[in-house]
Amino acid sequence: MSELLDEVSLVERPEKNKPLGVLFWICVGWITLNIIGAIFANVLPLQNPLFEDFNAINAGPGLHHLFGTDDLGRDIFARVVYGSRVSIAVGAGSMLIGFGIGAPLGMLAAYRRGRFDAILTAIMYVLLAFPAIIATIAVLSFWAPRSLLKIILVIGLASVPLVYRVIRTATMAIATKDYIIAAKVQGATDGRILVKELLPNIAPIAVSFLLIGIATVITLEGALAFLGLSVNPPTPSWGNMINESRTVMAENPWLVIFPSLALCLFLLGLNFIGDRLRSHFDVTEVKL
Amino acid sequence: MIEDTKLLVVKDLATTFATAGGPLAAVGGVSFDLGPNETLGIVGESGSGKTVLSRTIMGLQPRSNVTVTGSAILNGFEVVGASERAKRQIWGTEVAMVFQDPMTSLNPVMRIGKQIDESLRVRLGMNRADAKARAIELLELVGIPSPEMRYQVYPGQMSGGMRQRVVIAIALAGSPKLLMADEPTTGLDVTIQAQILNLLDELKDRLKMSVILVTHDLGVVATRTSRIIVMYAGRIVEMGSTRDVFQNHRMPYTRALLESSPKVSNPSHTRLTTIPGRPPNLLKLSDGCSFAPRCAYVTDRCRSQRPELEPGEESGHFFACWNPLPTTRGVRSS
Amino acid sequence: MLLGIIFVISVGSFYLIHLLPGDPAVVILGTGATPQNKAILYRQLGLNRPIYEQYFTWISNVLRGNMGTSFISQTSVASTIRAALPIDVELIVLSQIIAFATAIPLAMRSARKPDGPLDRILGAGSFTLLSVPPFIIIVLMVLFISVKLGIPHTGPSSYVTFSTDWIVNLESLALPAVTLAIGSFVVYYRVLRSDLIATLQEEFITMARSKGISQRRIMWRHAFRPSSVALLGSAGVNIGGLLAGGFVVQYLLAIPGLGYTLISAINMSDYLLVQGIVLVVSVGVVLINFIFDFIINIVDPRISRE
Repeated sequence: MSELLDEVSLVERPEKNKPLGVLFWICVGWITLNIIGAIFANVLPLQNPLFEDFNAINAGPGLHHLFGTDDLGRDIFARVVYGSRVSIAVGAGSMLIGFGIGAPLGMLAAYRRGRFDAILTAIMYVLLAFPAIIATIAVLSFWAPRSLLKIILVIGLASVPLVYRVIRTATMAIATKDYIIAAKVQGATDGRILVKELLPNIAPIAVSFLLIGIATVITLEGALAFLGLSVNPPTPSWGNMINESRTVMAENPWLVIFPSLALCLFLLGLNFIGDRLRSHFDVTEVKL
Repeated sequence: MIEDTKLLVVKDLATTFATAGGPLAAVGGVSFDLGPNETLGIVGESGSGKTVLSRTIMGLQPRSNVTVTGSAILNGFEVVGASERAKRQIWGTEVAMVFQDPMTSLNPVMRIGKQIDESLRVRLGMNRADAKARAIELLELVGIPSPEMRYQVYPGQMSGGMRQRVVIAIALAGSPKLLMADEPTTGLDVTIQAQILNLLDELKDRLKMSVILVTHDLGVVATRTSRIIVMYAGRIVEMGSTRDVFQNHRMPYTRALLESSPKVSNPSHTRLTTIPGRPPNLLKLSDGCSFAPRCAYVTDRCRSQRPELEPGEESGHFFACWNPLPTTRGVRSS
Repeated sequence: MLLGIIFVISVGSFYLIHLLPGDPAVVILGTGATPQNKAILYRQLGLNRPIYEQYFTWISNVLRGNMGTSFISQTSVASTIRAALPIDVELIVLSQIIAFATAIPLAMRSARKPDGPLDRILGAGSFTLLSVPPFIIIVLMVLFISVKLGIPHTGPSSYVTFSTDWIVNLESLALPAVTLAIGSFVVYYRVLRSDLIATLQEEFITMARSKGISQRRIMWRHAFRPSSVALLGSAGVNIGGLLAGGFVVQYLLAIPGLGYTLISAINMSDYLLVQGIVLVVSVGVVLINFIFDFIINIVDPRISRE
């Protein structure tokens, strides 16, 4: 039906280059709002997240406390906003490390091939075989005392093999294309090829994977909190707020609902942005 | 009445797609008929609507975003408007299709024997042993050597010509009365093309089938069809016996088509004549004749009014043109 | 290749104990580190021998089924793992049955009518669920069940083995199985749906249609198989992930599977047990990936021929 498809392609593939849409920009706005909130939490007109007001324990949402208070009288809204710091820091920081190390290595290995690639890839694949989650848990629990920095470092390093693999695979798919060979023949230096030819073509896949990665890492932080392996109280993080709420859920459901909503909506926003970018640039789904 | 003996009667058949750019009339108002044991050629460039026509006649058009109007009666069964379930009754047993590219029309992960079996067991209710025996018979019929062995292989393990034979075998499994062959040889080696076409000829006579041969290649239809329909922009622009169309064509497009196909008899290094311009955008059809922008004989009337099919001198010969080429009847052929 | 990876994993697991600061014997013994015990341990594990000898001793023990005896719990590591592993298996099996049984038919329905009402609802729903981590699902479910419906959530596990009382067994695993199933469902549904839609566009599907075959048969016998490759791929990754990562769910609901045991072991500084579990789980994940690669090859012979 090839001749048919030429004319009817308008119907067959409406996804490509679809305009990003209103919802997309709403999500971008929402994520940006969260980020701003996290960065500028100090100067925003919030209650003190650590202040325990014994006159207002387990209060429901109201004028004074927008989201209510927890069982120690602390303002939930402020804690949620401050909590976003942890999630965003973990998400951004770990991915920075993961991509900062994994991506250049992956690109170089895919481009150069040869022994460098063979050895490095073998190491990475073996590292990949180790379930990263277990390694993260093991390291974090043995390496006391815990700090946000350590968490970011451990998760970041644990993500390097996966980033390496994805970027390497993506680069290999492009590096064999004719226009790369053409550039080489024209005498372009490796550096120039890497930056000007490969990088722009990897970008859609990389960004898509980056967003997925951030979402995954933030979820991981949440899970760690449930195992008591996230930041220490009284520092709020979405994960440990939800965890702490388990005991008082019956009396104070707000303690569960608000941080959960915050976390889920943030993840939803990230996922949606990643998904839309992917279908706009017509990138095949990244297989983790 | 003559109508009763016709295998296929098509009247004002039109197929419209609902696209993002508006309704697209891939086929607009086609009428013709076909008797038993006849071979009809449908000829046209890409985008002429010939493939859509062939599928619509069978009822095989896509199920969503498509509207079909008019009538197509196949052996007494009205295809237009029939439910999918009703159409399934005729598919395979009354009419079958041979598709263009056997690599994509065969299921790549299913053994070919099973693919033939499927028609026999599901549609004809044969049991496993009978179906296998019949499938091997069919493979032999289409000229595949060592059919028992080939029964087990996957499509990817066969050559292009072999695969197309398998496709034909599958089409014949239900003993259809009409075989629709949509560009059956495009994409195959030239030598294989001739083999496949000869095979179709042979089978047609042996099994007493009618065949509709859809193609852009005039060489294919020249010797193998009794009648030809020429399509352009979704409509029939000329129709008649093969001889009439080749030797006494009246519509300038037909001439242009004939002249643009390379002939072995031309001296070497002859420049190929092409038809200037491009096929029309079916989303924006103008009022006049669709070929007007590219026609060397265009008149003002051509641009403003669309010509209907009118009979030529010979019986069964029709063409749609306000300024037709002079008839060559009685004059030596060009 | 497979053996190579397993070998490296075993070395890594073995080395874990030596990564910790201090005398390995003290680490293993924990607070019960009397000089006599230390001496016994030294002899058992050959701790004053060179490291590769220690590894050989350890690996030959492991291959014979002896992973040491935990000094914290006084039970053999192997038997603890043996008790916990079937629970994981059952949990995974249950959740995957639920996930596949829902994802496959629904994906088929959606693929037949893309952008139809069902497709849109499932699409939006599954996308949203993607963003809800399993621990939140559990917490919210527990909140709903215990608070709204008034069914108290018991603390310690009410789990019993299948052979003892299969009704209670299924009851206790219902919540975690469903939670894990949701995560799997979302992935499987989306992957299968998109592959099915792509496959249904192919010419051989039109050909099958032209043979007069029913929609159902076309879907199951022609469209499903080529589309299932990606599904199997993600199943392999997913199940491997469940083995390693399902422990949050286990921990929250006190289901004594490997995950739960691992967390408790870490909390109690029972490093021998940790070592054993890490080894078993890692090898398990690798094996699962291997098996799935094998299955994929059978399903789509094109891949092996490429």
